[in-house]
Amino acid sequence: MADLFENYRLGPGWDEMFAAAGMPRDTYESLHATLQPLSSADLGVRADVLARAFLDQGITFALKGIERPFPLDIVPRIIAAAQWAVVETGVAQRIRALEAFLSDVYGAGEVLAAGVVPRSVVVTSAHFHREAAGIVPHNGVRVHVAGVDLVRDEEGTFRVLEDNVRVPSGVSYVMENRRAMSHVLPEVFASTRIRPVESYPSQLLGALRAAAPAGASDEPTVVVLTPGVHNSAYFEHALLAREMGVELVEGRDLICAGNRVAMRTTAGEQRVDVIYRRIDDEFLDPVQFRTDSILGVAGLLNAARAGQVTIANAVGNGVADDKLLYTYVPDLIRFYLGQDPVLPNVETYRLADPDVLAHVLDRLDTLVLKPVDGSGGAGIVIGSQATDAELADVRARLLRDPRGWIAQREVKLSMVPTLIGNRLRPRHVDLRPFAVNDGSRISVLPGGLTRVALPEGALVVNSSQGGGSKDTWVLAAPMGPAESVPELRPAAPHAEPAPRPDPGPGTTSTQQQQQQQQVGGVRC
Amino acid sequence: MLSRIAESLYWIGRYVERAEDTARILDVHLHQMLADPWVGEDAACRSLLSVMGAPIPDDMPLSAGRVVTLLGLDAGNPSSVVGALAAARENARGARETVSSEMWECLNATWLGLPDARVRVEQQGVHAFFAWVRERCAVLAGLADATMSRDEGWLFLVLGRSVERVDMSARLLSTHARAGGSIPSWLTLLRSCGAWETFLRTYRGSLDDRHAAEFLLLDRLFPRSVFAALSIAESCLAELAPGPGRAGVATDAQRIVGRSRTNLEFRGADELLDDLAGVLAGLERTCSQVNDAVSRRYFRATSAVTWVSEAVA
Amino acid sequence: MNSWRLEILHETGFSYDGQVGASYNEARMTPRDEPHQAVLDARVAVWPAASTHRYVDYWGTVVTAFDVHTPHERLAVTASATVETLPPGDLLAPATWADLASPDTVDRWHELLLPTPRTALDEELTALADEIRAAHRTPHAAALAVCERVHADVAYVAGSTGVQTDAVQAWRQRSGVCQDLSHLTVGLLRAMGVPARYVSGYLHPTPDAPVGETVVGQSHAWVEWWGGRWSGFDPTNGIAIGERHVIVGRGREYGDVPPLKGVYAGPPNTGQGVEVKITRRR
Repeated sequence: MADLFENYRLGPGWDEMFAAAGMPRDTYESLHATLQPLSSADLGVRADVLARAFLDQGITFALKGIERPFPLDIVPRIIAAAQWAVVETGVAQRIRALEAFLSDVYGAGEVLAAGVVPRSVVVTSAHFHREAAGIVPHNGVRVHVAGVDLVRDEEGTFRVLEDNVRVPSGVSYVMENRRAMSHVLPEVFASTRIRPVESYPSQLLGALRAAAPAGASDEPTVVVLTPGVHNSAYFEHALLAREMGVELVEGRDLICAGNRVAMRTTAGEQRVDVIYRRIDDEFLDPVQFRTDSILGVAGLLNAARAGQVTIANAVGNGVADDKLLYTYVPDLIRFYLGQDPVLPNVETYRLADPDVLAHVLDRLDTLVLKPVDGSGGAGIVIGSQATDAELADVRARLLRDPRGWIAQREVKLSMVPTLIGNRLRPRHVDLRPFAVNDGSRISVLPGGLTRVALPEGALVVNSSQGGGSKDTWVLAAPMGPAESVPELRPAAPHAEPAPRPDPGPGTTSTQQQQQQQQVGGVRC
Repeated sequence: MLSRIAESLYWIGRYVERAEDTARILDVHLHQMLADPWVGEDAACRSLLSVMGAPIPDDMPLSAGRVVTLLGLDAGNPSSVVGALAAARENARGARETVSSEMWECLNATWLGLPDARVRVEQQGVHAFFAWVRERCAVLAGLADATMSRDEGWLFLVLGRSVERVDMSARLLSTHARAGGSIPSWLTLLRSCGAWETFLRTYRGSLDDRHAAEFLLLDRLFPRSVFAALSIAESCLAELAPGPGRAGVATDAQRIVGRSRTNLEFRGADELLDDLAGVLAGLERTCSQVNDAVSRRYFRATSAVTWVSEAVA
Repeated sequence: MNSWRLEILHETGFSYDGQVGASYNEARMTPRDEPHQAVLDARVAVWPAASTHRYVDYWGTVVTAFDVHTPHERLAVTASATVETLPPGDLLAPATWADLASPDTVDRWHELLLPTPRTALDEELTALADEIRAAHRTPHAAALAVCERVHADVAYVAGSTGVQTDAVQAWRQRSGVCQDLSHLTVGLLRAMGVPARYVSGYLHPTPDAPVGETVVGQSHAWVEWWGGRWSGFDPTNGIAIGERHVIVGRGREYGDVPPLKGVYAGPPNTGQGVEVKITRRR
């Protein structure tokens, strides 16, 4: 029987499964033990079942107008309880600091006056929306949902790669991956205590309701606003709406009159209190932003300003996840929270300083260059993998617009075994945990989206760039009293067996016919 | 319920019914055409296209294969079988949090199977394709029945299905009326509705034109009769409408359907059959009026607005 | 002090080639209450009748937002205000070129030092800015020189440009309206490293106007710059800002302070009207 791990080579990044060749780390022992005896054919069959299930359920993302499944790798990624505790604390700390920053830059501007962040960084950010100044959310929350992209460096330390506090997507894959995996690898689920992720929709709904404007009813009306079926994340929008039990609306379903927002229903117009929007700021309100937007709702921003509706996430959050601002987040954590950052950044160069720029230009082929407001891996140049022409091109662009770029050390992302063909091979991964802020507490969903770069050696892990995903298992703390993992109880034995289902008339007559034949048989 | 979602459900109902009925009509008529050596293929094809409201190409003599392409496989035409199924799926995609996951998966899987439709036709013949369509539609109807709660969404789905059924049944009966009663014999008609056996049981083998038309038009118990479909549409509308006032019914749509239903119910079979063409034309008119009235009342203004910017100095 | 009391009636709006079903607008037509200008009364009325919502935007301008859902062929907005204004104060500003170049100042006024679409300069204008800067010992003197230069070289010609015209275009044709002259001045000031802003408001056309007489005035624009403190000047008329000027809003350029802008759904816009009447009451 062929070994799935045949010719599996460690490196160049931190291998999450193996401490040394053939030596699985503690967290992966049980999974390794399950995989080891499987033949590649066995695993292949399960992988096919997994892929088919996703396609039939329409769990897809649209790329250039074509719906594609987001490949789910059959080998999960496992994070130990202690490691997760660091991630959880670090992510929550970061969101708290970013919340404080947003409230500050769209308000008093203390952080600017104190010189912690230069004004130039804020006012030149493409997503600093002056239209959002003066909009004060009722419960103070602007980042209702955040996705913080993390990587593990060569030493296995989690580092923040970027923040997403506009409309982070991907949480639907976290939920669907888990569902699918429990069907194809039930034996590992049985032997491992994995923290569940299915409570996400109810947590999100709780946070959205808590954000309702003053004067809304006790059961505020929440809707999910989608750009429509052609959006790449439409599947997610529909899933969240369905699992929260709220309406999934498009811009054309909403009408804003006299600063009140309502949806058009078969029974007339119905008031809306909270809009979980999955539309970018620029398309949200043609009165304030792009006039040609047919996705948005005219008048929405002023309705929010008047305190009649809550837009979640808030408009203008992009100033906080600008990649240049990212370099200041550790300072923001110290400034607003008086704490040291729990999760370090990746070493990053700001290019506005001519000396730094010159230094960076000298060693482009060893660095990663990122446009400050690109998302989804768009525009990223990895120096070590770029051609001379690409390097020359990025050099010209850096010189033309140093504010538009940052440079980072190339981190060799950590690796997890991944089914490639019929063998397991190490592939680079990142992690996007999702955090929900309800105003009193920031909850981080245990797990998150692990994206895996499928081509060998690839470092950009994105769905639009040949990426797949992995189910991410956070192990329950072994003795954690705080952790309420229910004890497995044997099913209660029935006092007496339930009666048999009623038989239909046909069955009886067949039996009788058989009996008659048997009787006849004996007689002969 | 959101107007846009209600509209989607209504159209899912219509499109799925359209796909199924078109498949049924084509299946039986094509079979008939090929089996009967006295049928002029071109004329029969033209008659069929005209009854189905499809544009009739003038450039060449029509063949059964061409009709299958136009009414069966043309993905760009929402009145073809393939087009209607694709349109139903597109509507469900926009209403995905409202239709049950099982219904969505069924529609989606059907849609994923459509690219193979042509291959299926070529390899196994049209009958196999139409049988597959009927089966998928039946699965879908079954899942809707088993998994949708009987709320507004359900009512719009059934309303759409019933309105489409009235429309398609009227067209089906027209194939007979237009062809002068010979080409698609009543046997064909009854078969295409899946009503052959029921009819035989009901009329105990006395097969004649009037009985067949009466059955398809007026039978209270057979679910594909025009009368039954109109009655279902009427009860859906009644449940959707606000409580009636003291006089009459509350909505235009109820009035239109009610008038049409009573017309069938109380005019008497003989009188109706003497004026069959007029009655059928009236039914088709009813369908389009109901469609308009329902859209006006329940689906108002669900299209996107294009904004123009303006400023003065 | 010789303050004036000015009563302003500003009527504007749009007309359409048919019925408009819905429209959303924002009017920036309310004078600011500030040390050199006291607003005694200010209101904005809309026809067809609509409820209005008032807020103060990022730039400190009072905005009246409203939406109209009754079908209409004409939209009218009327702003009326009574304002007390003061004659020009002293214009002195203490900052040196070195002060303006200090990192703190550059950062503090960063967004008022950057070009915007309507205030960006070409090479010729940038060279002009450098030349004027080199010729003056203080930023304040250079700023006044820029204003004089624009006033002298660019003719005020009503209707010679549109809302979208930029500074370079106005300079090339050596003509424009108050908006263009202000954009040009602001652009030159910023190119010299002087933080500058665009001001929108009203101007009473007559010096020493008689009390009680109603005259046709206009929406107006002028500039302000930072030289250790804010100073203003009206490059269109070549005068200091005084009792004839009423300030409504400030921003980087026109785009930050349009008197009325919005979106509507319906047939083409066939016209827009603006009429400003000003009466000196004291």
